[in-house]
Amino acid sequence: MYVDFKGSKTYLSTGGLDLAKDKDTLCFIHGAGQNHYSFTQQIRYFVSQGYNVIAPDFPGHGFSEGKQTTSIEEDMFWLADLIQFLKLQKVFFIGHSQGCLTMLELAAKIPDLAKGLIFLAGAMSIPVNDYLIDTSINNPEKAYDLMVKWGQDNYGSFSISNWPGHNHLIEGSAVMKMNNLSVLSTDLKSCNLYKNGKQAASEINLKCLAVLAKYDMMTPLKKGLEMVENIRQCDFQILDCGHFLPIEKPKELNSHIKNYLSYHSQQL
Amino acid sequence: MSEKYKFDTISLHSGHVPDKETGSRAVPIYQTTSYVFKDTNEAAALYNMEVGGHLYTRISNPTIATLEQRLASLDGGVSCIACSSGMAAMHLVVSAICSSGDHIVASNKMYGANINLLQHTMTRFGIETEFVNPNNLKEIENKIKPNTKLVFGEVIGNPGLDVMNVPEVAKICKKKNVPLAIDATFNTPYLMKPILHGANIVIHSLTKWIGGHGIAIGGALVNGGNFDWGNKEKFPTISGPHFALNGISFWEEFGPSALTAKIRAEGMYNFGPSLSPNNAFYILQGIETLSLRMKKHIENTNMMLDFLKGHEAVSWLKHPDLDDHPDHQIAKEILPLGSGSIIVFGIKGGRDAGKAFIENVTLASHLANVGDAKTLLIHPGSTTHSHLSSEAMKVSGLTDDMIRLSVGLEDIEDIKMDFEKGFKAAAKISSKRN
Repeated sequence: MYVDFKGSKTYLSTGGLDLAKDKDTLCFIHGAGQNHYSFTQQIRYFVSQGYNVIAPDFPGHGFSEGKQTTSIEEDMFWLADLIQFLKLQKVFFIGHSQGCLTMLELAAKIPDLAKGLIFLAGAMSIPVNDYLIDTSINNPEKAYDLMVKWGQDNYGSFSISNWPGHNHLIEGSAVMKMNNLSVLSTDLKSCNLYKNGKQAASEINLKCLAVLAKYDMMTPLKKGLEMVENIRQCDFQILDCGHFLPIEKPKELNSHIKNYLSYHSQQL
Repeated sequence: MSEKYKFDTISLHSGHVPDKETGSRAVPIYQTTSYVFKDTNEAAALYNMEVGGHLYTRISNPTIATLEQRLASLDGGVSCIACSSGMAAMHLVVSAICSSGDHIVASNKMYGANINLLQHTMTRFGIETEFVNPNNLKEIENKIKPNTKLVFGEVIGNPGLDVMNVPEVAKICKKKNVPLAIDATFNTPYLMKPILHGANIVIHSLTKWIGGHGIAIGGALVNGGNFDWGNKEKFPTISGPHFALNGISFWEEFGPSALTAKIRAEGMYNFGPSLSPNNAFYILQGIETLSLRMKKHIENTNMMLDFLKGHEAVSWLKHPDLDDHPDHQIAKEILPLGSGSIIVFGIKGGRDAGKAFIENVTLASHLANVGDAKTLLIHPGSTTHSHLSSEAMKVSGLTDDMIRLSVGLEDIEDIKMDFEKGFKAAAKISSKRN
């Protein structure tokens, strides 16, 4: 669905349904240079499981217009304002990669907004090498290909997919091409600049889940486990795949998310 | 980290890794109609296309999916659907995008069945097609109307061997926001990948060079993922609400793979033009040697062109790699490895000589196929178009002395020898008549 938010046409995928007031909401937060298509195999699945789902395209990403945010802090305020604009109560946030940094910041600064946090391929900081940033500025399409290549594990090479007939390497680049050209470089710089992850992680009081990837070259497993250690209550699961786990291991990921949500509902 | 493998490696490996349970190195043939659901929750998720997987072989199958993923990789597409024939693939594309009242601009130099489908069958369903010279760029642009939903052509036309200037046509289509679908059967991804030249959809008859051995009928459509279907008024079948699946918009939910999601959910589900897993396996065996075969096809074609060029029994000769072909320059640009292994030529002595030639060759097989490992021939004047007068054949762009040759992989000296026998018989008929 489209909303007019902060004076800009903003898209959020809801799995095609209107948001219901009486349901828990899951908010999926995409990573650098991505958009709501990162969560194609989560959005409608969790709608069918009885949740409101929103997967917003941040400004300049996917179908959303508007001036792109240039820091994780700005991302966080944009997202918090969107949640309030939509009149949503406490929300389960599920962030991927850069989305995890946004989530860390949000949980630390506006803790009342979150009911639960699930970190996908996350870390407390995501330093980006100069080569990738330069390439994303000078030759964005090459940078998309590099990210997709680094982001998927060896199965990407062999075009292995649970979606019959899909080639995730090529599709990954096609998804990134849907964004404004400057999106990736701006996102990568935001990641590189963000230094408050450790502090933010230590301030989180919610019980969290981290789903990490064994062969992650963007946010290495080691960094993900450091984040887990810094959050007071954070369970973790490791999937046998690369950085793009929502695409590479959707069934396993959905199952872990479901278990986490069901644990929460038993506690309430 | 993933590797971007090259053509030969993709041909052998894409879409499959050794089976975890059995270690099977070859792609297993999943000869099954259906798949046991783990629970009702999983069944619902598959029916609603919430997650990927297989539920019924009419819609998808693991062996066929391997073929699809391999073809998508070879063509540089985001997704692919394999189906029962090239014609089925074309129908799937047209029926997914167009509805009654819509308009198509198509090449007038295409395979007869493609033209029949558009000119005679789809018109009964209210879809009108205007046919154009595929290289008259102005005409293509002028024919595109607000209700034009598709531009369609062949890289190498069948049987005239006209070469479409795909990059230039793609530019026009992009400007006009109309998807460009290209039948790439005669070139295969080895010789040219239309998506890399700006096309949006690629259609293959897998029966021909891709399968390559004349043993299995199959087709496929490869989705470039490079077309914006977001205009709901213009492309309501892709971006508007779908009648099932909670009225979802395929564009909003699936983005670059919206077209194949739509075709999987509607075309495969409702029409059912499924490929058999066995045929998918046979075609996969063909793909494993695609580049080797295409190299040899081209090598033999070049030698046959040299043989036929100055031959006294040959009245004319046509192939895009010949300097005098009207599309030679375009062919050089977009088909640098060669313009396929079909040659058309005229035999001196007309229709009767053609008939005698065909009936006196032994190695070259007289049949209605192309792209086999074996050399194939057809003489339209005595077979497919035998009911037409010479004048009527000319209207169809054919002549009664025309022979279509699909150059195979035999030792070319043996084929030349075989042809000499045929030419001798044709000459006898000519001299008797004279």
